[in-house]
Amino acid sequence: MLKSILLTALTLVIALGGGAGSVWLMIEEVPDFGAMTIGEWSVNPTEGTPQADPYAKARFAREGELSLGIAEGAQFIASRDATGQPLRGACDYVVTGSVPASRFWTLHAVQPGAANPPRAVQSLALLRASSGSFSIALSRHPAPGNWLQIDATGPYRLVLAVYDTPTVSSADLAGITLPRIVRERCNG
Amino acid sequence: MGSLLRAILVGLVGAGIVHALVLLLIPYVTAADVWARLERRAAFYEVVRIDPASGGNMLHLPDPLFEAAACRIDLSEGIVHLQADGEVPYWSMSIYDQSGQNIFSINDRTSNEGRLDFLVATSAQLTELRNSQAEDLGTAVFVETEVQEGIVVVRAFVPDPTFEPTVSRYLAGLDCSLR
Repeated sequence: MLKSILLTALTLVIALGGGAGSVWLMIEEVPDFGAMTIGEWSVNPTEGTPQADPYAKARFAREGELSLGIAEGAQFIASRDATGQPLRGACDYVVTGSVPASRFWTLHAVQPGAANPPRAVQSLALLRASSGSFSIALSRHPAPGNWLQIDATGPYRLVLAVYDTPTVSSADLAGITLPRIVRERCNG
Repeated sequence: MGSLLRAILVGLVGAGIVHALVLLLIPYVTAADVWARLERRAAFYEVVRIDPASGGNMLHLPDPLFEAAACRIDLSEGIVHLQADGEVPYWSMSIYDQSGQNIFSINDRTSNEGRLDFLVATSAQLTELRNSQAEDLGTAVFVETEVQEGIVVVRAFVPDPTFEPTVSRYLAGLDCSLR
């Protein structure tokens, strides 16, 4: 009698604990497997749409936020530089390269615990070389040329938002090139 | 020993079932749900700002150079007319279902002369409207959705701070009403 109660209890603990725990693990710890990685950047074209996978849907529902629609634009997120090191406010970086065809794009940093509202640079007000190429300095200290001010020394993520772009369906995303994030120097 | 093994096996199968159930239920039971947050801030057809500057951000990775406004609509009450006057450098509009999933989006290039002028209707309402043909519908663009209740979000670009008053006025003047 006692044995069967214990076995039933064990079964229930495995079922409920294992089931709920594995969902939590998948949502909180496992990287978004619906996302595509392009260089340093990742993008999930189905995020926030009915086509997203169940894990992305659950994660998104918990965040409770509204994502950009396909006709609006696409957001690419980077949390590491070109060598794979995490982006940190203590380091200076330079972003160079090309951005997919679009009407315009913006670049801003998401920094947990930043004191000031985030700043952003946008493509319509960018200093460019005569060839049309650009470079943006990411630093806590003023830099000549295009400068995106970073607030604190901690880790941050970069968001490249590309608006009114034809390259949003996942078939098109595979062939695009995105800017590189190159570390210059670190202070601390 | 055999019964212990059986208990573990049944437990693992049960874990699989619980996993699937919890996963599929999460979108329906979350408290931080956008619809509920918007409901607390505004009635149906009432336009509110939802960008970080408004104090109640509801956007995923909000762009500092954008402002956004939203209203909740209920198509079971009738066709919804969305309209804004004035000009801004760039606007885009999305319709979300109750669980916050993006089901329709459009930007100023794909609309008629860059004007924000839409009639949102279900396919049944659209068929009815086409058959009646009596009313003057103006130049509004029809948007067909399958959901009854939804959230409409209009985002507008602020290239630099001098555009801020224009864009704010544009979003404040957004009209979201039953026609």
